[in-house]
Amino acid sequence: MSNPNKPLLPPPVPAPDLSVSLGRLRLPNPILVASGTFGYGREMVGFVALDRLGGIVPKTITQLPRRGNVPWRTVETSAGLLNSIGLDNDGIEAFLKNQLPWLKQCGAPVIVSIAGATQPEFVQMADQLEGVPGIAALELNISCPNVSHGIDLGTDPEMCRRVVAGVRGVTKIPVIAKLTPNVTDIVAIAKGAQDGGADAITLINTCQGIAVDWRRRRPMLGNVIGGLSGPAIKPIALRCVYQVRQALDIPIVGVGGILSIDDCMEFFVTGASAVQIGTANFADPRASMNLLAALPGALAEMNATRMTDLIGSLMAGAGAPAGELQKAAGNQTHAS
Amino acid sequence: MHTPSPPVVCYADAARCIVADIVSHRLVAENTYRLRIDCPEIAASALPGQFVMLRIPERVDPLLARPLAVYDTFTAADTEPSNGDTPTEARRRYADFIYTVQGKFTTALKELAPGAQLLVWGPLGNGFSVPTVDHLLLVAGGIGQTALLALGRECLGNKLYGSSLRSVPRAKRVTFCWGARHGGLFGDVTDFRDAGMDVRLATLDGSVGHRGTVVDLLDELAQTEDLLHPQSIHIACCGPEGMMAAVARWSAARKISCDVSLEAPMACGIGICFTCVAKIRDAFGEWDYRRTCIEGPVFNAMAIDW
Repeated sequence: MSNPNKPLLPPPVPAPDLSVSLGRLRLPNPILVASGTFGYGREMVGFVALDRLGGIVPKTITQLPRRGNVPWRTVETSAGLLNSIGLDNDGIEAFLKNQLPWLKQCGAPVIVSIAGATQPEFVQMADQLEGVPGIAALELNISCPNVSHGIDLGTDPEMCRRVVAGVRGVTKIPVIAKLTPNVTDIVAIAKGAQDGGADAITLINTCQGIAVDWRRRRPMLGNVIGGLSGPAIKPIALRCVYQVRQALDIPIVGVGGILSIDDCMEFFVTGASAVQIGTANFADPRASMNLLAALPGALAEMNATRMTDLIGSLMAGAGAPAGELQKAAGNQTHAS
Repeated sequence: MHTPSPPVVCYADAARCIVADIVSHRLVAENTYRLRIDCPEIAASALPGQFVMLRIPERVDPLLARPLAVYDTFTAADTEPSNGDTPTEARRRYADFIYTVQGKFTTALKELAPGAQLLVWGPLGNGFSVPTVDHLLLVAGGIGQTALLALGRECLGNKLYGSSLRSVPRAKRVTFCWGARHGGLFGDVTDFRDAGMDVRLATLDGSVGHRGTVVDLLDELAQTEDLLHPQSIHIACCGPEGMMAAVARWSAARKISCDVSLEAPMACGIGICFTCVAKIRDAFGEWDYRRTCIEGPVFNAMAIDW
């Protein structure tokens, strides 16, 4: 029966299960694109197969249109990008009319990022989005460093809890709180989000910084202070993911300086259930696709067949040699 | 509260993102280099006034790409511009860029030799669209000539970019006014002369051409030119912001139509980062920040809130 010329192939390796859960939100894979780094999705059609993404977080919307901050709005720093865009957007009504109809048919889960100036405004925006078809989740941007109000809500645990709880009270849509690293105790803020009923938290928004042109005695950004993103902040983001994972059970979406598949894997092992690709979209518009293509190989290298084999598998005991860590991770995979 | 912008319509859908080899790289003026890359996917479709984003792959410092105007495109690696070079788009393969070394990206770029690779995406932006006029005036300041050569060539009918099915308006003549701080900054001026343009140069120090600015060149031109019929003249301009604002004022005072190509810092070039915004006015005079990369870089000078 068998064809003698047909080479004997090893049995096919089943494709790994890339799906992940963030509370009530289930995503086809853990590679998402971050708010403010992917436009409204439509801009990327020439570069990215949008329906392959684990999720799209379009640019943050506010209740009313905002022109945003005066240029310069970004400046490149060492291995990083400092930005102060200032939530330039056309407002929630224009988003629902002009952007969402296209986004919801693009094939990827759409996680709408909203920023309210106050707790009641967050609740009002969530109420307006409740029942609108095509929204997989809400990401609460309580952490934009470039508008004065957002950061106040995101730096106080009780305010964070009240924003999340208020939003949960008016919508059945899963809720993710995006937190700022510019706080003394990230765990306390994350606990506030968890107590408020968040399905997950996104760690981290940008780190505040400034850049200076000393010859002109001028700040480089029109708004003086901006938020730093890119490879320069990856260790800070990983530290935040680590601290929260050690203390709390809430699912984490990791973001901050991810360029390579190694970066993605570091976040998963440290405790992120999914990652968002941000500044890398600027450096290479195909970045998200490249990472998605590399993910199954990286899972196979760890003998992992599903994302849960990896997530939070970091051996936290200090000082283990790299080889030991790898062996330990492998053992854990077999045991699970 | 301002009027919300209408939806953006000029997406980078036709752009390609590729890794391209550097074919040649040479000094053409003080601190100024001419770069040729092998990029058939981009060279075939690039139109006058469009740009690409160029990045040194795998590096995190510099991390991001930079926008550079497409200066010219060619069918063969070793050809210099020649009049009558009208290949079909299928054969067009190389693209040239000219840049001045200014920051860490261009400092790193100038060290790259032929054979090195660059990550490139483009062509991007709207490019120039010129009305049918007798006389096209190209006005450049500094490195702004890079956005204008292809436009002048096309309007003189000595080269066609993009699809061979495109029809472009012809001008009876093209005058190219170029201003710089000093004469050492003019590189490859022969490209413009050989294409059949009337070339006029100005330098602030008087080392080459007229001592003064491009506006002086325009004033000089106006003395010999019949400006009673401004609709027969069109200006396309690219250079430093102050210079473009001066040219915009000059043309507005004479009711001559003027398009400018804005140079803004960009992080992505494709509309996702909202870095490169400029204050643009709508028909009702209301301004909003517009993304230079996908709603420009070419705008009518009257629409810009200088």
